[in-house]
Amino acid sequence: MPEVKKLSDGIFEVVKDKKQLATKNLEPGKTVYGEKLIPVEGIEYRTWDPRRSKLGAMVLKKFNIPLKEDSKVLYLGAASGTTVSHVSDIVSEGEVYAVEFAPRSMRDLIGLASRRKNIHPILADAGKPDSYSHLVEPIDVIFQDVAQPNQAEIAARNAVRFLKKDGYLLLSIKARSIDTAANPKEVFKEEIRKLEQAFEPRFEILNAKDLKPYHEDHLGVLAKLR
Amino acid sequence: MKIDTWFGTIETGRAGEIQEARLLSKDIRELALHSLSLRDSRSDLPPEGFDLKAAAFDCGFAESPAEYYFLLHEVTLEAAKLQVSGALTPDQRIIQAVEALDDINETTNALSERLSEWYGGYFPESGLGGEDLALFIVKYGSRENVGPEAPLYSKARNSMGAKLESADEALLKGFAESVCSLYERRRQIEAYIENSMELIAPNLKLIAGPMLGARLISLAGSLGKLAEFPSSTVQVIGASKALFKHLRSRAPSPKHGIIYSHPLINTAPWWVRGKVARAVASKLSLAARIDFYSGEKDLSLTEKLEAKFLQIRTSNPRPPQKRQESGAKPKKKRRK
Repeated sequence: MPEVKKLSDGIFEVVKDKKQLATKNLEPGKTVYGEKLIPVEGIEYRTWDPRRSKLGAMVLKKFNIPLKEDSKVLYLGAASGTTVSHVSDIVSEGEVYAVEFAPRSMRDLIGLASRRKNIHPILADAGKPDSYSHLVEPIDVIFQDVAQPNQAEIAARNAVRFLKKDGYLLLSIKARSIDTAANPKEVFKEEIRKLEQAFEPRFEILNAKDLKPYHEDHLGVLAKLR
Repeated sequence: MKIDTWFGTIETGRAGEIQEARLLSKDIRELALHSLSLRDSRSDLPPEGFDLKAAAFDCGFAESPAEYYFLLHEVTLEAAKLQVSGALTPDQRIIQAVEALDDINETTNALSERLSEWYGGYFPESGLGGEDLALFIVKYGSRENVGPEAPLYSKARNSMGAKLESADEALLKGFAESVCSLYERRRQIEAYIENSMELIAPNLKLIAGPMLGARLISLAGSLGKLAEFPSSTVQVIGASKALFKHLRSRAPSPKHGIIYSHPLINTAPWWVRGKVARAVASKLSLAARIDFYSGEKDLSLTEKLEAKFLQIRTSNPRPPQKRQESGAKPKKKRRK
């Protein structure tokens, strides 16, 4: 029988042959992107590959993941829904507003969202929160993985509109999409500074770690409103 | 204060209490269309931190959280579907065609190479290749079937190739038929690209030719994006590896990306290629912008490009020899 250890709300470590990150499958029997399903005592777990998910990597990097069972999440940069599906598992009683700009990725995301009732897909530019402000309620956690040069600004714009006073921001910063030539460490420092003081609202950084070895030149950031 | 939401418009008083609400019916499609119409709205946005769900309860749109989220889910899903189906614009179809063409080229080359290798064992003297060889095999199969009227008759009779058994012959013929149909498909796609380019980007087609124009659209992602690029970007589209090497280290900057296939550039002598590439790129961006924003064909573009080209050629008749020597030295130093 595989051994299950709870890491955080809705996030588990399942040991079957090796340690694997997993979430409880919201739609038992179905996989989303070819991941493994591991049933343990009547509960089905879906393995979560940290190399394909920045959030997964942040869990293994010992970030305090602020997601609860009933969290309202604004997910910016949802892509095809690989990580979104795990967030949807974790906030099984909550809601995920999944914003994605590319119609091609949205096609896959729609397939996922039509099966999972807590995912609300929004095809829009995350840099323009006004264009979806008529849809999104106050939010507990913003997760942002957009690989844009103005990531910090995008986070601030969304936070000011939607984030509750006691809400959290989880951010993945890709150094290469901000400046291809600069040293990633310098880029990270500058982005942290921007989050802390460049825009309104200002953030307080709770944790910031490089996501090596799961992702190259990516910084994971956990922040809350100052 | 007037606030537009996905379920209707509400008027709130000073303290945020709802005074009036004009709610939409719970028809999913209608709600989705309404939601899409609010995307570009700049006025009557919900204020920061506004609780839409609470408002929906207060004005009686939804009775329970479950109902609110159910409707929201169906509406966002429907709206996203409408947006996705509207996203397949004519330039996106061209992009698919260009990518299909690249795949077909790759496959056709691999398969016809295999065919020539395979059939070479039975008739090495044929001297045919590519589509000609495939057509030959489909027509005759074994070289023994080549009649006296065919030009290859004597070569076929005196060939050193092995005898082709009937089982192998059937296999080869079928294989050759597939290769032929791939060549056919390639022509069909090329014709499609040419026609579509004339319709959606006539100026770009005029300056770049249909295939280069289509490739530029494909690499840019859409005609709109290509029109928004500065011409310096258009100049190096497709040379991203060289460009980033240049930006990161001290490698020389690329002079041209895929626009190298433009006849003015690839026939120009090396010392003016960079200048010509810049001139071509600037006219290409102009063409893309005219196509995207107005769509009228402007024949003067080619004339202007020709004039610019002649000017570059006449002012640079010879390779810059001196500079080349003095330029070579610091380059070596840099490499350290």
